[in-house]
Amino acid sequence: MSEPIIKIENVHKRFGRIEALRGVTLNVNEGEVVVIVGPSGSGKSTLLRCINRLEEYEKGSIIVDGIDLNNPHNINAVRSEVGMVFQSFNLFPHLKVLDNLTLAQRVVRKREKAEALEIGMKLLDKVGIPEKAEAFPGQLSGGQQQRVAIARALAMNPKVMLFDEPTSALDPEMIKEVLDVMAQLAREGMTMIVVSHEMGFARAAADRIIFMDEGVIVEENTPQLFFTSPTQKRTQDFLSKVLQI
Amino acid sequence: MEKEKNDAPDRELSFVTGGEVNVRQDPWWWLVVVVIAVVLLLILLAPVPFQEIIVFAKDGILVTILVTVVSYFLMLILGLFGGLGRLSKNKLFFGISSLYVEIVRGIPLLVQLIGWYFASPVIIQKLGLWTGIEALIQYRANPIITAIMAITVCYGAYMSEIVRSGISSVPRGQMEAARSLGMNYFQAMRYVVLPQAFRVILPPMGNEFIALLKDSSLVSVVAVADLTRRGREFMAAHFNPIETWLMIALLYLIMTLIAARVVSYIEKRARYDR
Repeated sequence: MSEPIIKIENVHKRFGRIEALRGVTLNVNEGEVVVIVGPSGSGKSTLLRCINRLEEYEKGSIIVDGIDLNNPHNINAVRSEVGMVFQSFNLFPHLKVLDNLTLAQRVVRKREKAEALEIGMKLLDKVGIPEKAEAFPGQLSGGQQQRVAIARALAMNPKVMLFDEPTSALDPEMIKEVLDVMAQLAREGMTMIVVSHEMGFARAAADRIIFMDEGVIVEENTPQLFFTSPTQKRTQDFLSKVLQI
Repeated sequence: MEKEKNDAPDRELSFVTGGEVNVRQDPWWWLVVVVIAVVLLLILLAPVPFQEIIVFAKDGILVTILVTVVSYFLMLILGLFGGLGRLSKNKLFFGISSLYVEIVRGIPLLVQLIGWYFASPVIIQKLGLWTGIEALIQYRANPIITAIMAITVCYGAYMSEIVRSGISSVPRGQMEAARSLGMNYFQAMRYVVLPQAFRVILPPMGNEFIALLKDSSLVSVVAVADLTRRGREFMAAHFNPIETWLMIALLYLIMTLIAARVVSYIEKRARYDR
């Protein structure tokens, strides 16, 4: 393995008096799929949002693909290399689906209209809803919206994809269509960091599972070992709660 | 409305854009027609003085429209920057725009108009004497330009607050999504946040236009020959206040009613499904 594509070193972050991250260190290699699990308030989403600097951190360093995030001039450069998918989709409601996919390509990547449209249509094909190209986001189901959001992030040719609880806002019957798209991405070798409560997805698609609690990484392991023989007491407690259902 | 009955494949889409708004479906257009009919009837039944009033005041109508339209567009620009300033993290930009809004909002427009017209030339002339620049010493206030400036500054403050609330109404996730795609702040504002904020501020923006049209009558006190001032001149010459102010009121009414219909038309066109 060569140099890790994401190097997180001793990152601290606080919201007022609450310490959200208390010294997190994590390396992610190219092509790796890392799933972060943990109780709410454990700092998983905050860590993810620090990686593309949607949150600023006080201490530590994050280096993405050789670009140091501590230098504020690099932020836009990093963001166009890192795709982000949000819990609440955040599609642009005033633009048609296809325009959602082409906007940043044209504005940030400066692609020609024809090229952007071609890439956009190819990605809509990939996520399985090319027929919705001319629809507005408000006319789509939650699952379809989230798939468009994934396609929108992919249109920038990111080297890393971050997923912030991508299925938490979805009706149960729509979760699978989104997870299928994500699993396919993982198979294609995309580097992914996923914050999720979907243990089934974690078991099937992850190379590594990270358990966070109270702002620190408590345990990390392969899915196999993580679910069968967790070493830490807190991990065992958490798993006994989420797996008994 | 008819489109909803059709089973055309683009039915969904026409629903989203608000469909085509048929002028005849907006019943308030009838009010415009009725008021215009009343005016025409008055002219027909009693050309003296009603036709005379219109002939006398027609350049006043043009001045009123000119002052309204020009200050409206200038104050939109000022309001955009004021609103962005009110939301800015930059303390200087935030401070200046907040101070501007808070001060200007608290002073009556009439006082501001009179102040600009009578006080600002004196200040500029004094400045000219002090610096020795001849052009400034010779400065005389141009009534129309001064009036447009005063209205722009005053309404720009109201507009700043409208823009601020419009931008605040766009969910934070929109800015985050745009930024996470690599757009900078201005690109995200221009392509993502402002187009959505625009739909929210469209109704109050329309109201501001109508309010500004009516408030433009205040410029008559600073030697601008607008519709109101022309009305006063006509009344002074002919001593017929009832007919004069009836006609002037009707002319304002025609303008504001038409503006209100146009505003509601644009609002319907801009509606969309979230």
